[in-house]
Amino acid sequence: MGIKVVQRHGKSFKDKLYLPAIAGGMKTTITHFFKNLKDVDNLKTMHYPEVQPTDITDRYRGVHRLTKWEDDNTEKCVACYMCATACPADCIFIEAQERFDDKAEKRPKEFKIDLLECVYCGYCVEACPCDAIRMDTGIFSLTGTKREDFVLDKKALMANERSKDFSND
Amino acid sequence: MNIETIIIIIVNISLAVFLAVGLTPVFVWWERRVSGFMQDRSGPNRCNIGPLRLGGLIQSFADMLKLVFKEDFTPAHIKYKFFFTLAPAIVFICSFLTFATIPFADNLVINGKEHMMQAIPNQLGIMWFLAFAGLSVYGIILGGYSSASKYGLLGSIRASAQVISYEAAMGLSIISILISYGSIHLADMVNAQTGTYLGVIPMWGIFIQPLAAIIFIVCAFAETNRAPFDIAEGESEIVAGYHTEYSAMRFGLFQVGEYSAMSASSAIIVTLFFGGYHLPWLDTATIQNNINIVIIALIVLLPIKVFVLTSWMKKNNKAIGENVSRLKETKILTIAFWGITVVIVSILALFLVTGLGTNGVNIATAVIQIGTFLAKFFLMAFVYIWVRWTVLRFRYDQLQMLGWKVLLPLALANIVITAIVVVVLGS
Repeated sequence: MGIKVVQRHGKSFKDKLYLPAIAGGMKTTITHFFKNLKDVDNLKTMHYPEVQPTDITDRYRGVHRLTKWEDDNTEKCVACYMCATACPADCIFIEAQERFDDKAEKRPKEFKIDLLECVYCGYCVEACPCDAIRMDTGIFSLTGTKREDFVLDKKALMANERSKDFSND
Repeated sequence: MNIETIIIIIVNISLAVFLAVGLTPVFVWWERRVSGFMQDRSGPNRCNIGPLRLGGLIQSFADMLKLVFKEDFTPAHIKYKFFFTLAPAIVFICSFLTFATIPFADNLVINGKEHMMQAIPNQLGIMWFLAFAGLSVYGIILGGYSSASKYGLLGSIRASAQVISYEAAMGLSIISILISYGSIHLADMVNAQTGTYLGVIPMWGIFIQPLAAIIFIVCAFAETNRAPFDIAEGESEIVAGYHTEYSAMRFGLFQVGEYSAMSASSAIIVTLFFGGYHLPWLDTATIQNNINIVIIALIVLLPIKVFVLTSWMKKNNKAIGENVSRLKETKILTIAFWGITVVIVSILALFLVTGLGTNGVNIATAVIQIGTFLAKFFLMAFVYIWVRWTVLRFRYDQLQMLGWKVLLPLALANIVITAIVVVVLGS
């Protein structure tokens, strides 16, 4: 293995003069300025609330949803408390009740997630034995005007759907 | 004192106030948008009054309102509240007064009486600038010292050391300029910059004294405490330097002081080195003798400029998604710009038809020269912002090295060379 000689800069007269380097830098910035001034579409930023990002990956952990059976649109959740147990932030509150159709023996009467407490770790999804809770809605910004708006109940969680931007394989 | 004198004094003073203080929101807006465009992002552009955003200009007014209405908080540990309050006022007043001797146009002759077109009509010129530019650092030192915090003190010590070292080189570079112009009065200096070399290059200070120009511009950057010489603020090292403990409008005064120092420096650089209020190749007498040609040129140029501006707006101020308020804004602004253009062009055409008379020609010349000065001034202010977002901050030892070991000897050598040339040529 040969020795690589690293060129030292800053010793030549041109480097010590410092002004050519400044002129070079100023040329770069002004090129960017005029490129963007001529056509604002060249800017790398997007006008966020009107234009939404479309490049969110399928593995992005967004707001939760409760999955549903395809035949009668009832919840798959069997109220086993696995997600609430796994949750490091203690933000899942489940109230169980007996289920009388042949899907399962238990169902959640109420299923609440406090998203102000939630750390979006995805452990609930990992823990679920029935694939009943998922975080594939692609919702990355949830806004509300009061604290109660951030506690999603069973109805809200079941209303969420898989993001249309994600692939369906 | 007759009515013309009073009107001219009022116009001059309000022009100085507008350029020194009133332009702060505009420069803040430039700073944000220009830096954004240089870094391929858009900068603040949402703040609006109805459909009017003016490209984000409203944001700086909103910020100013916020500063005015914030609580004016004085930390409990500050012993000398009077000095703490006085410091931003010193910075502000000094940077503001620097503008007083900048000539906006050539001496205006009305009914045979000459009027100096500057806010305070005196002959002090460059000395006034040096005095007040140097004085404004007292406000920074006092602010940092009376803050009674380590960061504030560090910032003010840095500021004082920096200003002392660069004041020396700046003064010496000014001496060589004084030798070649032979006057300290700024209007005389500007009038010395008329004419051309070889009929092509305008005889501006930057071509007569290139070395002094570079030294002076570098020192003027250091004097205003802006990047690359903003070690007094140095937010990555000492929080915010001298204004760490300040909030609300006292901080706002520091901010306004910084921007008015910037405008004063760009005005003085334009005056000393870029021909001041003179259009290149056209001195005052030429404009006065050919006023009709100049007016015709303006009548032709103005609609072309407005056409370029409005078509740029139409291309770039588009609707975003469902939000069509920007289209409405474009429509309003296009109508406004064309309305103003039509009014100005018809007034100019009226002048062409009726003729102006001696006083009218003199006033028109003064207005054209003020316009020229403003154009150069805004360009120089843009260079300030451009440099700030290009060049990195100097380390403290590099800064002192540049000041004492490079700029000072160069300025001294420049004095000697200039003096020899002046003596040999006998001018």
